[in-house]
Amino acid sequence: MAAAGGGWAAVCEKFRAARTLSAVESRKDPETEPYRSKYSARALLQEVKQLLSAAEEGDEARLLAVRRAVLEYELGVNHTDTEELSAGEEHLQRCTQLLEPHRLSPDCVSLYIQAQNNLGILWSERDEIKTAQTYLESAEALYNQYMKEDGNPPLDPSEHFMAEEEKLTDQERSKRFEKAYTHTLYYLAQVYQHLEMIEKAAQYCHTTLKRQLEYCGYYPVEWALNAATLSQYYLSKQCFMESRHCLAAASVIFSQAGQVPSAEDNETEEDQQDLRQRKAEIARCWIKYCLNLLQSARKLLEDNVGELDPDRQLELKAQRSKEEDEKEKGRKKAVLFGTSEICDSVLAMEEKVSSVYPLDFQEAREIFLVGQNYVQEAKEFFQVDGYVTDHIEIVQDHSALFKVLAFFEEDYERRCKMHKRRIDMLEPIYADLNPQYYLLISRQLQFELADTYYEMMDLKVAIGNRLEELDSHTIKKINSLAQLAIKYYELFLDSLRNPDKVFPEELEEDVLRPAMVAKFHIARLYGKLITSDSKKQLENMQTSLEYYTFLVDYCEKYPDAVRAVETELELSKEMVGLLPTKMERLRAKLCPFI
Amino acid sequence: SVEGDAIKVYVRVRPPSEGTALTDGDQGLCLSVLSSNTIRLHSKPEPKIFTFDYVANMETTQESVFSSVAKNIVESCMNGYNGTIFAYGQTGSGKTFTMMGPSDSDNFTHSLRGVIPRSFEYLFFLIEREKEKAGSAKSFLCKCSFIEIYNEQIFDLLDSASAGLFLREHIKKGVFVDGAVEQVLSSAAEAYQVLTTGWRNRRVASTSMNRESSRSHAVFTITVESMEKNNEVVNIRSSLLNLVDLAGSERQKDTHTEGLRLKEAGNINRSLSCLGQVITALVDVGNGKQRHICYRDSKLTFLLRDSLGGNAKTSIIANVHPGSRCFGETLSTLNFAQRAKLIKNKAVVNEDTQGNVS
Repeated sequence: MAAAGGGWAAVCEKFRAARTLSAVESRKDPETEPYRSKYSARALLQEVKQLLSAAEEGDEARLLAVRRAVLEYELGVNHTDTEELSAGEEHLQRCTQLLEPHRLSPDCVSLYIQAQNNLGILWSERDEIKTAQTYLESAEALYNQYMKEDGNPPLDPSEHFMAEEEKLTDQERSKRFEKAYTHTLYYLAQVYQHLEMIEKAAQYCHTTLKRQLEYCGYYPVEWALNAATLSQYYLSKQCFMESRHCLAAASVIFSQAGQVPSAEDNETEEDQQDLRQRKAEIARCWIKYCLNLLQSARKLLEDNVGELDPDRQLELKAQRSKEEDEKEKGRKKAVLFGTSEICDSVLAMEEKVSSVYPLDFQEAREIFLVGQNYVQEAKEFFQVDGYVTDHIEIVQDHSALFKVLAFFEEDYERRCKMHKRRIDMLEPIYADLNPQYYLLISRQLQFELADTYYEMMDLKVAIGNRLEELDSHTIKKINSLAQLAIKYYELFLDSLRNPDKVFPEELEEDVLRPAMVAKFHIARLYGKLITSDSKKQLENMQTSLEYYTFLVDYCEKYPDAVRAVETELELSKEMVGLLPTKMERLRAKLCPFI
Repeated sequence: SVEGDAIKVYVRVRPPSEGTALTDGDQGLCLSVLSSNTIRLHSKPEPKIFTFDYVANMETTQESVFSSVAKNIVESCMNGYNGTIFAYGQTGSGKTFTMMGPSDSDNFTHSLRGVIPRSFEYLFFLIEREKEKAGSAKSFLCKCSFIEIYNEQIFDLLDSASAGLFLREHIKKGVFVDGAVEQVLSSAAEAYQVLTTGWRNRRVASTSMNRESSRSHAVFTITVESMEKNNEVVNIRSSLLNLVDLAGSERQKDTHTEGLRLKEAGNINRSLSCLGQVITALVDVGNGKQRHICYRDSKLTFLLRDSLGGNAKTSIIANVHPGSRCFGETLSTLNFAQRAKLIKNKAVVNEDTQGNVS
């Protein structure tokens, strides 16, 4: 070749300089000239291209074509990096054209895949995801074909401009090749997500994470957060085994983060803070795991009034002992993270909490306790001072854990105490919260407090019903719980009023159901209040009737609302029919002589 | 009123820069304004019609933009509500002209001054009027801060020496920037003075494709506190007015506004740093199931959480350039504005539908 000897060395030197400028120097460019180094790199690449075309095309036509392809690739990436898409596309296309005949050979396959990756990115920047998809899927197919037919570590594109003695080891080649392919999968995950092929996207995310572990290409904290987030996807699909596996892996990998001394040895306060926050985030994912597992179990076990169904319980227990874990083992192989050592730690971590539905109080309690521990851990970082929203969300989860645990508790008194614990954690927060800034959370708390008091009242009534006669203490308790429930429902309804304190004529869709349920529950609560004073009783019935009537009238006026409150509406209609007669009778008793 | 809380979206079409469109007549334009709230984009094969709360054509005056976009928000700010005005659009679409006024002049007195100086004037006019009405019973305190969000970091434009600041929340005061300088204001002119000083500290950059474009979001916040004495009762009310100048929309790769682009693997190959965002998007479709997302909103959306689907009055001014060369950006701006209209005060109440009804 003409550019042999010293000439070639100079070419290689220029090429290397261009790559350094582009990858290293460009990160130090001033904010006012973000692409300075990229532009200099581009100039160098053009020079190299000139030198190459000056070289005579001789017996080494193929070699020359491949080198040109490398340059076209570098220029293509350079142009897309600097927001010049059309020019970038031209270069990348020229690169793949040059390589087309040789794309399965070990010196070209990696470059070809990377060019297709970049064409995928380029077309997605033009909002043409389908086109991006074809490039990336073809890159994926090429990788698979190459691995099947050849499989030897292929050349890295940069080697085409290296002296013989600098060439990479097979191990390094393989590492770089696998990395390029990991990128293909990573981009495909995004493509599928944009095309709303959610399951496929999740699968590609999972594989990307797996490969990052396998090839040690990850930052522990980032990886752990990604795995923890993926666990939340599995939760939404009720795949508890996969979810737990992701979380266990997240916790294990996260613990590496502290051990590895960071590159800049003295870690700043800020980094420490950041690390603590990430740890708390993962804890919060665990909380959701425990909560979902418990709530799903409850759904399976409850009867039509929301109580634990003992027949169903026995049935599920029998079913469980029969069900081999074989099926699960098959699934497990598909998602397993990590190699031996990491894998063992992950499995040990998994042992600490079940991934099958709890079927009785004892089993539920174990999951509850794990969840509660993570609540404490998360709260250590997300303190109310500084992290109001996060802190309250965690407290709400804690309350939800108690709520679902109470479902499994058979003793009503103890169950009532669990709800009291919820009140004790929610009420002080609500009292401090400024609704001008936290209107939505404030509403959630009002509603939850109301509901909790409502539930406690129901429990007290049930306990009272077992007694021969209601004692005054129980009556007092029932009434005060009912009053508190009414208070919080009213606060919630008040929050819907406009600035002039007027209740909206028509309710917004997102508050329609809660508002109607609040009205309905208030109606019921007035019906439950116990008093020996008949006049008072009549008043309560009157109020109750008014609230029931609201529901009926509203649904008549806005028939669209019916769908949201079908059962409540039916019962309200019934009550609107019954109450006046009852009140008439009571009135007759009050003044028997009229 | 039902429409009260939804975000109001205004579109303003700037005149084409001199010499571009006029050479080839209307052919050079990619859109036409059909009425005061509809706009037609000459897309192929079918033209597309967009409807907004208000569409300002090229002839609309600064005064009329201010009255339709900002007047009402400044008024409700006096009544104790938080208000936010955003400007959105690609570089060169007229954001700065709309918000500040013609560049390189004293915008505060200029007849073409923009929404911001006019808002200042109007706010202090209202304050003076209130004070006159109530006499010594009522007093006001106005403070302002001016921050910049660049690369997900927060900087104080009123204190250029300060390093990155943090967002925090307070149970009584909501979201705030910890350590941001607050300056007391006594007049509109003073407010404008503070704003222009800070404005000069903003980060801009030029590339061979774009002329100078702003790479950061700037948030100017005025806190209005009123104290009213009624006999022995002291009534304190406070509200915020946020004026937000977003980075040129063509640069907003990092926010949710970007549509379909793929996130690239970072320069350092170890980091596929956006994988998490992909997974987050997968989890979002979780049908009402309990889940936790480890990735926080962007700093901007967190800071303005109240303004976006919260407890506040919010307007967005989407600026577009009518030139056909800007077609792609204009389309994406209009699409963004269309989506913004859907943002509403979302009150998710944790209600247990299984609740015992009987």
